[in-house]
Amino acid sequence: MKKLIIIPAYNESASIVKTVEEIKKQAPEFDYIVINDCSTDDTGKLCRIHEIPVIDLPMNLGIGGAVQTGYRYARKKGYDMAVQVDGDGQHDPFFLRQMARELEKEGADLLIGSRFLEKKGFQSSVLRRVGIRYFSWLIRLVTGKKITDPTSGLRIAGKRAIALFAVHYPEDYPEPESVTAVLRRGWKVKEIPVIMRERSGGVSSISAKQSVYYMVKVTMAILMECIRKEEKDEY
Amino acid sequence: MNIRTQIMVAAIAVIALAVLIYMIHGNMLKLKYALTWFLLVAGVLVFGCFPSLTSVLAGFLGIETPVNMLFFAGFCFSLIIIFSLTVVVSRLSVSQKKLTQEIGLLKKELEEVKKERHEETSK
Repeated sequence: MKKLIIIPAYNESASIVKTVEEIKKQAPEFDYIVINDCSTDDTGKLCRIHEIPVIDLPMNLGIGGAVQTGYRYARKKGYDMAVQVDGDGQHDPFFLRQMARELEKEGADLLIGSRFLEKKGFQSSVLRRVGIRYFSWLIRLVTGKKITDPTSGLRIAGKRAIALFAVHYPEDYPEPESVTAVLRRGWKVKEIPVIMRERSGGVSSISAKQSVYYMVKVTMAILMECIRKEEKDEY
Repeated sequence: MNIRTQIMVAAIAVIALAVLIYMIHGNMLKLKYALTWFLLVAGVLVFGCFPSLTSVLAGFLGIETPVNMLFFAGFCFSLIIIFSLTVVVSRLSVSQKKLTQEIGLLKKELEEVKKERHEETSK
C-alpha cells in the first residue's frame, strides 16, 4: 500500500518544517509532498534546505488547484491512498495511521476526520459551526448521506477517489463540494472522530468578508454537482 | 438624424473597422473574438447610412421612439459580448490551471531525474 500525504502550502514558512517533522514521527509509513503554491516567502527554499520533496507551482492556484496537483501526482505515481494535511499545523498527523487503516478495512473511497463526531479539541467558532451544520444538512438533502464535518480538510482518499480528484476538483473551498461529488457517484464515504488544533501559523483561507461568498458559492456548487454531467476525462 | 450626424457615425464606424482589421493583421486581436465586434460595426454602419430603418424596425417591434430601440439593442449586444468574454475567461482559467499543475509536476520529475543521474555518476 503506497500512501501519500499532500501538504498544500502558501506562505507557511513559519510552520512547514514543524508539520513535516511531525509527519515523519507520527506517520513514517507515509510518503509526503509539499505543494508550494507560489509562496512569496521562503517556503520553497526551506523545503529544499530540509530535503522535503516539494512541487513548486509557477503560479498561485489557490487551495483547490494546489491540492489537485497533489492528487495528480498521486495518480501518476500510482499511490493507493492520498491524504491532505494542511501546512498550518491544524491537522494532527497522529490520526493518519488510524485513518489509513480504517479506509482499508471499510473499503471506503473517502474517509473524513471529523471534529464533531466526538466533539473534542478545537471546535471552530459558533458562526462557523452553524455554517458547517448547514452544509451537512444540504449534503444530506441532495445525497441522503450524513456527513458531520463536510468542511474538514483532513480526508484520506482511496485509489478511485484520487483518480476522480485528479480530474475533477473545485478551485476554492473544495471540501464540501468534493465530498458531494464522491457521494453522488454512489461511492463510500466514512467518518472517524479526530481532534483538531488551532492553526499555529498563517491565516484561514476564509475571512469574515469572504464568508458570504463562501456560503453562496459552496451552496451553488453542491447543487450544481447534482446535475453536472460526468466529465469525459478518464479516471 | 441629419446628414452631419450620419457622416459622423459612418466615419466612426469606418475608423473602428480599420482599427479592427489593423489589430487582427498585427495579431493583437484574434479573429475569433473580433467577430462580434465586426457585427456591431456592421450594424452601426447600416443604421447610420439608413436611419429610416430604425423607425421601421421600432414600429415593427412596437417601440414608440426609435432611439429607445437603439439603446435597447446596444444594451443587449453589450451583454452578449460580455457574456462571451466570461465564457472565454472560464475556459482560459481551466487551461491555465492545468498548465500550471503540469509544469509543477514536470519540474519535480526533472529534479528527480537529475538527482538520479547525479547519484549514478558519483558512484
